[in-house]
Amino acid sequence: MTPDARTLAPIFIFGLTSLGAYLVGAGLRGLRPAALSEAMRDVLEALGLGVFFLLVNLAVGAVVVLGARRLTGHFVSIYLLSDVTLPILSLVQALVFQHWRERSK
Amino acid sequence: MRGAGLGLRILGLAGLLVLVAAAFTPLPNRLNAWMAGSPQLESADAIVVLGRGGADSDGVLTNRSLRRVLHGVELYRSGLAPLLVLSGTGEETGARSVLVQGLGVPAAAILEVSSVHTTREEAERIGQLLLPRNQRRILLVGDPIDMPRTRAVLERVGFAVLPAPTAATGPSLPEGRLALLRDITTELVGLAYYRVTGRL
Repeated sequence: MTPDARTLAPIFIFGLTSLGAYLVGAGLRGLRPAALSEAMRDVLEALGLGVFFLLVNLAVGAVVVLGARRLTGHFVSIYLLSDVTLPILSLVQALVFQHWRERSK
Repeated sequence: MRGAGLGLRILGLAGLLVLVAAAFTPLPNRLNAWMAGSPQLESADAIVVLGRGGADSDGVLTNRSLRRVLHGVELYRSGLAPLLVLSGTGEETGARSVLVQGLGVPAAAILEVSSVHTTREEAERIGQLLLPRNQRRILLVGDPIDMPRTRAVLERVGFAVLPAPTAATGPSLPEGRLALLRDITTELVGLAYYRVTGRL
Protein backbone atom coordinates (compact mmCIF):
# COMPACT_ATOMS: atom_id res chain seq x y z
CA MET A 1 0.00 0.00 0.00
CA THR A 2 1.43 3.40 -0.98
CA PRO A 3 1.78 6.18 1.65
CA ASP A 4 -0.98 8.18 -0.05
CA ALA A 5 -3.35 5.20 0.07
CA ARG A 6 -2.52 4.59 3.73
CA THR A 7 -3.17 8.26 4.48
CA LEU A 8 -6.55 8.19 2.79
CA ALA A 9 -7.63 4.80 4.18
CA PRO A 10 -9.32 6.27 7.30
CA ILE A 11 -11.29 8.73 5.13
CA PHE A 12 -12.40 5.92 2.83
CA ILE A 13 -13.57 3.76 5.77
CA PHE A 14 -15.26 6.78 7.36
CA GLY A 15 -17.09 7.56 4.13
CA LEU A 16 -18.16 3.97 3.64
CA THR A 17 -19.61 3.49 7.13
CA SER A 18 -21.21 6.96 7.08
CA LEU A 19 -23.02 6.03 3.88
CA GLY A 20 -24.08 2.73 5.46
CA ALA A 21 -25.34 4.51 8.56
CA TYR A 22 -27.32 6.94 6.38
CA LEU A 23 -28.95 4.13 4.43
CA VAL A 24 -29.78 2.18 7.59
CA GLY A 25 -31.05 5.31 9.34
CA ALA A 26 -33.16 6.61 6.46
CA GLY A 27 -34.32 3.22 5.18
CA LEU A 28 -34.69 0.81 8.04
CA ARG A 29 -35.12 3.13 11.00
CA GLY A 30 -37.25 5.74 9.23
CA LEU A 31 -35.14 8.70 10.31
CA ARG A 32 -35.91 12.03 8.59
CA PRO A 33 -33.13 13.01 6.12
CA ALA A 34 -33.94 16.68 6.77
CA ALA A 35 -33.00 16.23 10.44
CA LEU A 36 -29.47 15.25 9.44
CA SER A 37 -28.36 18.85 8.87
CA GLU A 38 -29.72 19.78 12.30
CA ALA A 39 -27.81 16.86 13.82
CA MET A 40 -24.62 18.01 12.09
CA ARG A 41 -25.17 21.50 13.40
CA ASP A 42 -25.48 20.10 16.94
CA VAL A 43 -22.28 18.08 16.45
CA LEU A 44 -20.42 21.18 15.27
CA GLU A 45 -21.65 22.95 18.38
CA ALA A 46 -20.39 20.12 20.59
CA LEU A 47 -17.04 20.17 18.80
CA GLY A 48 -16.83 23.92 19.30
CA LEU A 49 -17.53 23.41 22.97
CA GLY A 50 -14.76 20.79 22.99
CA VAL A 51 -12.31 23.28 21.47
CA PHE A 52 -13.40 25.83 24.06
CA PHE A 53 -12.86 23.37 26.93
CA LEU A 54 -9.46 22.45 25.47
CA LEU A 55 -8.37 26.11 25.38
CA VAL A 56 -9.57 26.59 28.97
CA ASN A 57 -7.79 23.40 30.08
CA LEU A 58 -4.56 24.52 28.41
CA ALA A 59 -4.76 27.98 29.97
CA VAL A 60 -5.53 26.66 33.45
CA GLY A 61 -2.86 23.96 33.04
CA ALA A 62 -0.23 26.54 32.08
CA VAL A 63 -1.07 28.67 35.12
CA VAL A 64 -0.91 25.59 37.39
CA VAL A 65 2.45 24.43 35.95
CA LEU A 66 4.07 27.87 36.11
CA GLY A 67 2.59 28.47 39.57
CA ALA A 68 3.86 25.10 40.83
CA ARG A 69 7.34 25.93 39.54
CA ARG A 70 7.33 29.25 41.35
CA LEU A 71 5.74 28.06 44.61
CA THR A 72 7.59 24.77 45.08
CA GLY A 73 10.87 25.58 43.37
CA HIS A 74 10.67 22.22 41.60
CA PHE A 75 10.64 21.90 37.85
CA VAL A 76 7.31 20.86 36.34
CA SER A 77 7.34 20.39 32.58
CA ILE A 78 4.92 22.43 30.48
CA TYR A 79 4.97 19.50 28.03
CA LEU A 80 2.55 17.75 30.41
CA LEU A 81 -0.11 19.79 28.67
CA SER A 82 0.66 18.35 25.25
CA ASP A 83 -0.55 14.90 26.28
CA VAL A 84 -3.02 13.37 23.83
CA THR A 85 -5.52 12.64 26.62
CA LEU A 86 -6.26 16.33 27.18
CA PRO A 87 -8.18 16.90 23.90
CA ILE A 88 -10.08 13.65 24.46
CA LEU A 89 -11.04 14.61 28.00
CA SER A 90 -12.00 18.08 26.77
CA LEU A 91 -14.36 16.51 24.26
CA VAL A 92 -15.90 14.39 27.03
CA GLN A 93 -16.43 17.55 29.06
CA ALA A 94 -18.08 19.18 26.06
CA LEU A 95 -20.43 16.26 25.41
CA VAL A 96 -21.50 16.08 29.07
CA PHE A 97 -22.05 19.84 29.17
CA GLN A 98 -23.99 19.76 25.88
CA HIS A 99 -26.29 16.98 27.07
CA TRP A 100 -26.73 18.65 30.45
CA ARG A 101 -27.78 21.82 28.67
CA GLU A 102 -30.22 19.92 26.46
CA ARG A 103 -31.83 18.13 29.38
CA SER A 104 -32.16 21.35 31.33
CA LYS A 105 -34.36 22.95 28.64
CA MET B 1 -27.52 32.17 23.76
CA ARG B 2 -28.23 31.96 20.03
CA GLY B 3 -25.07 33.97 19.30
CA ALA B 4 -23.09 31.67 21.56
CA GLY B 5 -24.42 28.66 19.63
CA LEU B 6 -23.32 30.17 16.32
CA GLY B 7 -19.92 31.00 17.78
CA LEU B 8 -19.51 27.43 19.02
CA ARG B 9 -20.49 26.04 15.61
CA ILE B 10 -17.91 28.26 13.90
CA LEU B 11 -15.31 27.16 16.47
CA GLY B 12 -16.28 23.52 15.93
CA LEU B 13 -16.03 23.87 12.15
CA ALA B 14 -12.64 25.54 12.48
CA GLY B 15 -11.45 22.75 14.78
CA LEU B 16 -12.68 20.12 12.33
CA LEU B 17 -10.97 21.83 9.37
CA VAL B 18 -7.70 22.07 11.29
CA LEU B 19 -7.98 18.38 12.19
CA VAL B 20 -8.58 17.35 8.59
CA ALA B 21 -5.85 19.64 7.21
CA ALA B 22 -3.37 18.40 9.82
CA ALA B 23 -4.10 14.70 9.40
CA PHE B 24 -4.74 14.35 5.69
CA THR B 25 -2.63 17.02 3.98
CA PRO B 26 1.12 17.77 4.06
CA LEU B 27 0.51 21.04 5.95
CA PRO B 28 2.37 19.93 9.13
CA ASN B 29 5.27 18.63 7.01
CA ARG B 30 5.55 21.96 5.19
CA LEU B 31 5.55 23.85 8.50
CA ASN B 32 8.15 21.42 9.84
CA ALA B 33 10.47 22.03 6.88
CA TRP B 34 9.91 25.78 7.09
CA MET B 35 10.86 25.86 10.78
CA ALA B 36 13.96 23.72 10.14
CA GLY B 37 15.43 26.20 7.68
CA SER B 38 18.52 25.19 5.72
CA PRO B 39 21.08 22.99 7.47
CA GLN B 40 24.60 24.42 7.65
CA LEU B 41 26.82 21.39 8.04
CA GLU B 42 30.22 23.04 8.36
CA SER B 43 33.25 22.69 10.64
CA ALA B 44 32.57 23.83 14.18
CA ASP B 45 34.13 23.80 17.66
CA ALA B 46 31.49 21.45 19.06
CA ILE B 47 28.35 19.52 18.19
CA VAL B 48 25.59 20.32 20.66
CA VAL B 49 22.87 17.68 20.98
CA LEU B 50 19.96 19.14 22.90
CA GLY B 51 17.92 17.08 25.33
CA ARG B 52 14.46 15.92 24.41
CA GLY B 53 12.08 13.89 26.46
CA GLY B 54 14.60 12.30 28.82
CA ALA B 55 14.89 8.56 29.26
CA ASP B 56 12.76 5.88 30.85
CA SER B 57 13.74 4.50 34.25
CA ASP B 58 15.45 1.60 32.49
CA GLY B 59 17.63 4.03 30.55
CA VAL B 60 15.86 3.75 27.19
CA LEU B 61 15.90 7.06 25.34
CA THR B 62 12.77 8.52 23.77
CA ASN B 63 12.48 8.33 19.99
CA ARG B 64 13.40 11.98 19.52
CA SER B 65 16.27 11.91 21.96
CA LEU B 66 17.64 8.88 20.15
CA ARG B 67 17.28 10.48 16.71
CA ARG B 68 19.15 13.53 17.88
CA VAL B 69 22.02 11.69 19.46
CA LEU B 70 22.45 9.43 16.41
CA HIS B 71 22.56 12.51 14.17
CA GLY B 72 25.17 14.01 16.51
CA VAL B 73 27.29 10.87 16.25
CA GLU B 74 26.97 10.97 12.46
CA LEU B 75 28.23 14.57 12.40
CA TYR B 76 31.06 13.69 14.78
CA ARG B 77 32.12 10.78 12.59
CA SER B 78 32.10 13.13 9.60
CA GLY B 79 34.82 15.07 11.39
CA LEU B 80 32.85 18.32 11.60
CA ALA B 81 33.80 18.98 15.25
CA PRO B 82 36.10 17.45 17.86
CA LEU B 83 33.57 17.62 20.71
CA LEU B 84 30.11 16.19 21.28
CA VAL B 85 28.05 18.00 23.92
CA LEU B 86 25.12 15.98 25.29
CA SER B 87 22.53 17.84 27.33
CA GLY B 88 19.30 16.88 29.08
CA THR B 89 18.18 15.34 32.32
CA GLY B 90 20.61 13.19 34.31
CA GLU B 91 19.11 9.93 33.01
CA GLU B 92 19.08 11.18 29.44
CA THR B 93 22.70 12.34 29.32
CA GLY B 94 23.82 9.16 31.09
CA ALA B 95 22.02 6.92 28.59
CA ARG B 96 23.26 9.02 25.68
CA SER B 97 26.84 8.93 26.88
CA VAL B 98 26.80 5.12 27.13
CA LEU B 99 25.27 4.89 23.66
CA VAL B 100 27.70 7.23 21.88
CA GLN B 101 30.71 5.57 23.48
CA GLY B 102 29.34 2.25 22.28
CA LEU B 103 29.20 3.78 18.81
CA GLY B 104 32.87 4.63 18.96
CA VAL B 105 33.01 8.21 20.22
CA PRO B 106 35.88 8.44 22.75
CA ALA B 107 34.95 9.53 26.28
CA ALA B 108 37.40 12.43 26.02
CA ALA B 109 35.34 13.90 23.16
CA ILE B 110 32.09 13.89 25.16
CA LEU B 111 30.90 16.71 27.38
CA GLU B 112 27.75 16.20 29.46
CA VAL B 113 25.41 18.97 30.55
CA SER B 114 22.96 17.24 32.85
CA SER B 115 20.10 18.22 35.13
CA VAL B 116 18.85 20.93 32.82
CA HIS B 117 15.13 21.21 32.22
CA THR B 118 14.50 24.17 29.93
CA THR B 119 16.10 25.43 26.74
CA ARG B 120 17.29 28.54 28.52
CA GLU B 121 18.97 26.47 31.24
CA GLU B 122 20.59 24.31 28.58
CA ALA B 123 21.92 27.35 26.72
CA GLU B 124 23.33 28.95 29.87
CA ARG B 125 25.05 25.75 31.06
CA ILE B 126 26.47 25.01 27.61
CA GLY B 127 27.68 28.62 27.47
CA GLN B 128 29.44 28.24 30.84
CA LEU B 129 31.09 25.09 29.52
CA LEU B 130 32.22 26.15 26.05
CA LEU B 131 32.54 29.92 25.90
CA PRO B 132 35.41 30.21 28.42
CA ARG B 133 37.31 27.79 26.16
CA ASN B 134 36.63 30.12 23.22
CA GLN B 135 34.47 27.50 21.55
CA ARG B 136 31.77 29.64 20.03
CA ARG B 137 30.97 27.99 16.74
CA ILE B 138 28.57 25.12 17.31
CA LEU B 139 26.59 22.69 15.24
CA LEU B 140 23.13 22.60 16.82
CA VAL B 141 21.35 19.25 16.68
CA GLY B 142 17.64 19.38 17.41
CA ASP B 143 14.27 18.67 15.85
CA PRO B 144 13.36 20.90 12.89
CA ILE B 145 10.60 22.62 14.85
CA ASP B 146 12.99 23.47 17.69
CA MET B 147 15.43 25.35 15.50
CA PRO B 148 13.99 28.90 15.58
CA ARG B 149 13.77 29.12 19.38
CA THR B 150 16.84 27.12 20.39
CA ARG B 151 19.00 28.81 17.82
CA ALA B 152 17.91 32.25 19.04
CA VAL B 153 18.47 31.31 22.70
CA LEU B 154 21.97 29.96 22.02
CA GLU B 155 22.91 32.97 19.88
CA ARG B 156 21.77 35.23 22.68
CA VAL B 157 24.18 33.44 25.03
CA GLY B 158 27.00 34.18 22.59
CA PHE B 159 27.28 31.24 20.21
CA ALA B 160 27.56 31.25 16.43
CA VAL B 161 25.02 28.58 15.61
CA LEU B 162 25.07 26.27 12.58
CA PRO B 163 21.70 24.46 12.38
CA ALA B 164 21.82 20.68 11.94
CA PRO B 165 18.19 19.55 12.24
CA THR B 166 17.49 15.83 12.49
CA ALA B 167 15.01 15.54 9.61
CA ALA B 168 12.83 18.01 7.79
CA THR B 169 10.03 16.10 6.14
CA GLY B 170 8.31 14.52 9.13
CA PRO B 171 5.74 11.74 9.26
CA SER B 172 3.46 10.82 6.37
CA LEU B 173 0.60 9.09 8.20
CA PRO B 174 -2.36 10.93 9.78
CA GLU B 175 -1.57 10.08 13.41
CA GLY B 176 2.05 11.20 13.08
CA ARG B 177 1.03 14.40 11.30
CA LEU B 178 -1.46 15.25 14.06
CA ALA B 179 1.26 14.75 16.66
CA LEU B 180 3.59 16.92 14.60
CA LEU B 181 1.05 19.75 14.40
CA ARG B 182 0.56 19.52 18.17
CA ASP B 183 4.32 19.80 18.65
CA ILE B 184 4.57 22.71 16.20
CA THR B 185 1.80 24.50 18.09
CA THR B 186 3.54 23.83 21.42
CA GLU B 187 6.83 25.12 20.02
CA LEU B 188 5.27 28.27 18.58
CA VAL B 189 3.60 28.98 21.94
CA GLY B 190 7.01 28.44 23.57
CA LEU B 191 8.61 30.83 21.10
CA ALA B 192 5.96 33.46 21.85
CA TYR B 193 6.44 32.92 25.61
CA TYR B 194 10.20 33.40 25.29
CA ARG B 195 9.69 36.60 23.32
CA VAL B 196 7.05 38.01 25.71
CA THR B 197 9.20 37.26 28.78
CA GLY B 198 12.29 38.80 27.17
CA ARG B 199 14.29 35.57 26.89
CA LEU B 200 14.96 36.17 23.21
